[in-house]
Amino acid sequence: MTDDAAPTRVLVVEDEYVIALDLSQQLEDAGLVVCGPASNTPKALSLIDDSPPDVALLDVNLGGGKTSYDIARKLIELDIPFAFLSGYSINQLMPEFENVPLLAKPCSAPIIVKVIGTLVAGRSQTRCGQATSGQGTEKFFAFK
Amino acid sequence: MTRSTSSFLIVGLGASAGGISALDEFFRAIPANCGMAFVVVTHLNPSRESHLPEVVSRYTALPVRIAEDNMKIEVDGVYIMPPARRMTIQNGTLRLVATEDGKRDHKPIDLFLASLAEDQGSSAVGVIMSGGDGDGALGVKVINERGGLTFAQTSDGQGPLNPQMPESALATGIIDFALPASQIGTRLLRIARDRDTPEQALLRAEQDDQARKDMHRVAALIRERTGHDLSGYKPKTFLRRLLRRMTVTHCATIDAYVAHVSAEPEEIDALFRDLLISVTDFFRDSDAFHSLESLVIPKLIETAGPDGTIRVWVPGCSTGEEAYSIAMLIHEQLDQQRISPRIQIFATDINEGSLGIARSARYPEALLSAVSPERRQKFFKRDGEAFVVAKAIREMCVFSPHSLISDPPFSRMDLVSCRNLLIYLGADLQRRVLPTFHYALRPGGYLLLGLSENIGQHSDKFVALNKTHRLFQRRETGTAHPGVPLRQLSIRHGNVPSNAPSGIAEVSLRSLRQAIEAQVLDRYAPAHVVINAEEEVIYFSARTGPFLEQPRGAPHRQLLGLTRPELRVDVRIALRAAVMTRKRARRHALIPEEGTHRRVIIDVEPIEMDEGGAPNYLIVFGSDLADPPTPDDAIVRENDGTLVERLERTIQEMAEKLQSTVEEYETAAEELKSANEEMLSVNEELQSTNEALESSKEEMQSLNEELNTINAELTVKLDEVDRANADLRNIYESTQIASVFLDADLVIRQFTPAAHRVFSIRPGDIGRPLTELASVGNYPDLEKHIAAVHEGGETIEQQIEHAADGTKYLVRLIPYRRDDKQIDGVVVTFFDITQLVRAQAQQEVLIAELNHRVKNMLTVVIGIARQTLSGQSGEPDAADRLLGRLRAMARVYSLLSAEHWKEISVNELIGQEMAAFGSNRIRVSGDAVRMSPDKALPMSMVLHELATNAAKYGALSNETGHVDVSWHMTDNRLTLLWEEIGGPRVNEGEPSGFGLVLLAGQVEHQLNGTLQMSFEPRGVTVRVEVPFT
Repeated sequence: MTDDAAPTRVLVVEDEYVIALDLSQQLEDAGLVVCGPASNTPKALSLIDDSPPDVALLDVNLGGGKTSYDIARKLIELDIPFAFLSGYSINQLMPEFENVPLLAKPCSAPIIVKVIGTLVAGRSQTRCGQATSGQGTEKFFAFK
Repeated sequence: MTRSTSSFLIVGLGASAGGISALDEFFRAIPANCGMAFVVVTHLNPSRESHLPEVVSRYTALPVRIAEDNMKIEVDGVYIMPPARRMTIQNGTLRLVATEDGKRDHKPIDLFLASLAEDQGSSAVGVIMSGGDGDGALGVKVINERGGLTFAQTSDGQGPLNPQMPESALATGIIDFALPASQIGTRLLRIARDRDTPEQALLRAEQDDQARKDMHRVAALIRERTGHDLSGYKPKTFLRRLLRRMTVTHCATIDAYVAHVSAEPEEIDALFRDLLISVTDFFRDSDAFHSLESLVIPKLIETAGPDGTIRVWVPGCSTGEEAYSIAMLIHEQLDQQRISPRIQIFATDINEGSLGIARSARYPEALLSAVSPERRQKFFKRDGEAFVVAKAIREMCVFSPHSLISDPPFSRMDLVSCRNLLIYLGADLQRRVLPTFHYALRPGGYLLLGLSENIGQHSDKFVALNKTHRLFQRRETGTAHPGVPLRQLSIRHGNVPSNAPSGIAEVSLRSLRQAIEAQVLDRYAPAHVVINAEEEVIYFSARTGPFLEQPRGAPHRQLLGLTRPELRVDVRIALRAAVMTRKRARRHALIPEEGTHRRVIIDVEPIEMDEGGAPNYLIVFGSDLADPPTPDDAIVRENDGTLVERLERTIQEMAEKLQSTVEEYETAAEELKSANEEMLSVNEELQSTNEALESSKEEMQSLNEELNTINAELTVKLDEVDRANADLRNIYESTQIASVFLDADLVIRQFTPAAHRVFSIRPGDIGRPLTELASVGNYPDLEKHIAAVHEGGETIEQQIEHAADGTKYLVRLIPYRRDDKQIDGVVVTFFDITQLVRAQAQQEVLIAELNHRVKNMLTVVIGIARQTLSGQSGEPDAADRLLGRLRAMARVYSLLSAEHWKEISVNELIGQEMAAFGSNRIRVSGDAVRMSPDKALPMSMVLHELATNAAKYGALSNETGHVDVSWHMTDNRLTLLWEEIGGPRVNEGEPSGFGLVLLAGQVEHQLNGTLQMSFEPRGVTVRVEVPFT
């Protein structure tokens, strides 16, 4: 939790409505602002365009064989930190995202909130020029 | 030599070609309790199994055994020598030694009989039967010497098929019984029955004066018949030989024998022969020979000088061993001195048979025991079991028949060696013989006697050089030598003692006269010869050369053979005339001489010798000193008067010549006849060879049959192997497994058809190393692994991908094990596992997907549970709702899994969800549309929420309402219409709370569709549109 001047905006991309609903509700309960949730790539991309979030949680599989990789690339491009939230294990992700934190479904809200906090903190540190290479976040990779 | 004379007779039977039938006849006469033992020795092919034992056992009731080493001879048994063995007997026990590979023994019968004689003495019996060579002759000789009995098979109309062997034995002159095979057995039985009696007779006889008198009676009989006086023989020797003959003739007492002899005078000859035999060995008594070698022979050589002559006389030479031994000694010393005086060794004996064996110079090894290896090497040539004396030695020795007692002695001898002959002679004969030796020796000549012999009273004639070895030197004495043949004194006039010493003057005069007479004869007398009744020359004068000559071939003494051809007819006529008339006969003849002819007068005159004896003839070749002959004289010889007389004379001469021609023709015919006989015997030999060949042929045939059987078996096995091969080939082809068999050198031995695809291997590649072929994909360690498997016997498996087509293979390397579990190569097998790998990958994807789904589902379930149960939603019957929702999810999952997570029918989806509510008030209708799982799941939740709502608040909550559910596809959009009719009155916004949120969220968020709800009085209507892109 960096500062409370403006609440952290979290983009949630999740095709499963029940999950999206439940997740959003838990994030908002934790004091975060949820963008979306978006159920598909076009919706998510338009949300990012409208107002870039501080951080994002992406479901990998968006149903019908679609994935959230395009969204992820966009986020990287925009230097927005994010984490995957998926039933897949880490080795099923595309290699280009191997450094992205992966939260395994089902995942409890406190952990998700903690990861988001770390991601946001990591980005602000990087912006301040204090490059710590995001080691703090990588510790979370350990659990699945 | 230790003798172990058995109490029973041991009969050695020697047979060869034609012997089977002889043995048959022999054994038929032998009963089972005959009280003898028989040992059969035959000439066997060493490389063939003998069937003789079976054959013999067919003819005899006696047990027939194949002889074995160390087999003890037992009475009433037959022992047969097996092939390729050399058999002897020792202490009544057979000894067998294998012969050299593939080599047959030349004289197995001699060998065995000789050992039998040495071992068994008078219990030994030798029987020589049909056979093709002279084997056995020396053997029976040894048996005879040792006091045993000998038999030879003779003809009885169908006698021995091959008579050569028994005839050779007979030729030795010592065979006791010459009988047909069938009678030998009978005679043997009689001897075996009677044999004890004469032994006892001998014991008695030796101490009995009466026996001595009897002996003299027998000796007198011998003298009467043969002219030889053997009364001087030592009584013991005489009696032993007499006893042997008594055994032979089945006479228990000497009286009986004398009676027998008077009935069969030939028996006297047999006894006489028996008395004369002697035993000799090469270098027997080596000490005596050593002293001869050191004391005598150097002197002989020295005296003779390089161009002189050394003359040696060996009287009583028997079979020649002693003569040859002396020849060897001289030869050795000459070799050392490198000079070559002429050597003449005269070896004489009465027994012609012995001389024949001596001339053949072939001896069994037993007789060579005293010969050093160097001498064997130098003087003998091994020929099978026998040893043949070297030619150089044989040429030094001359063997001729001669009686020491009755024939004139040789003269001017350097050495007389007469060993072990005197022992057979009594003191009286010895006394007479020694002066003969004195006469025969040149002054200073040497005399060698046997160890038990001595010069006795003749020390005035000889001086002892070495007393121990009985070596003497002639002493020059004034005493007269016998001067006339011994026979004149001893035989003809009976008991006249040796001539008494005469006065010196008389001796000198007689010597002078003899010398003069000899000179006159040599110088002036015409050439002449003396022949005996057999026309053999017994005396040659000097200068017979112009008239006589030795023809080509073996030397002989036949007068007519020696006579020059030009004279032969005349000599024959004159001789015939003299024989017929017993008066002097004269012939004139011509012999060509230096272009002219020489007249010869041939006088033939009989010389009456003893009264009643056959006369000798003197032939004198006188020169006719008439006018030199003209050619005409050949016809007109004498100056007779009339023409008629001349013609008559001519006719008579022609008749005489014709007669002699006829005689010559008859002689030639005789020769032809004997040649014919020889041919016949050769023919018989060929026949026996033929028989042997035929039996070989039979064996070949049976062998052939065996081979045929084996061949048939092999053919069957081969068929089986072919079938097994075909099975294997079909297995290879059907499995499509690429297998390559590598042998111990790791080169290709065999491969399956499928291997061609992997390795590009071809039939021509068999025999090449596998690693020489094109690479088999990325398996660089193949060679190393193959070697490891071959070394260690471990199986190695490896997955590789084929370089060319990406096919994946499981390569399995297993050791190739032979039947005996030894590793003999490696089998390389390639299993195509491309499908398997693909299936595995697919399965991994599926499992990952499943994991994902399960996790997703659990997340959804958690979300639903939290939303349903959270107080915010405030639903009163939250638990029921939660369970309902979860059951709906379970139902759609069942449906999807039944369809393998492919598209499912909308109709089925809706029907199933509605059926869950158990109501028949729900009408369902719509197109046959199928939807994917990602749409089916939210759709089922939508339907569940609608149905739950209808059941709780809507058309299904009362008894009257119903629901119409319909759908259709338009422009890839599914439109689902939910219409409730007849339910309780509906108020807008009534369906609210989480159910509605869920409904809207599923349709809009998840399905990207639209949801329209209209609340009309008749009931709620819901319209859902979902894109199916």
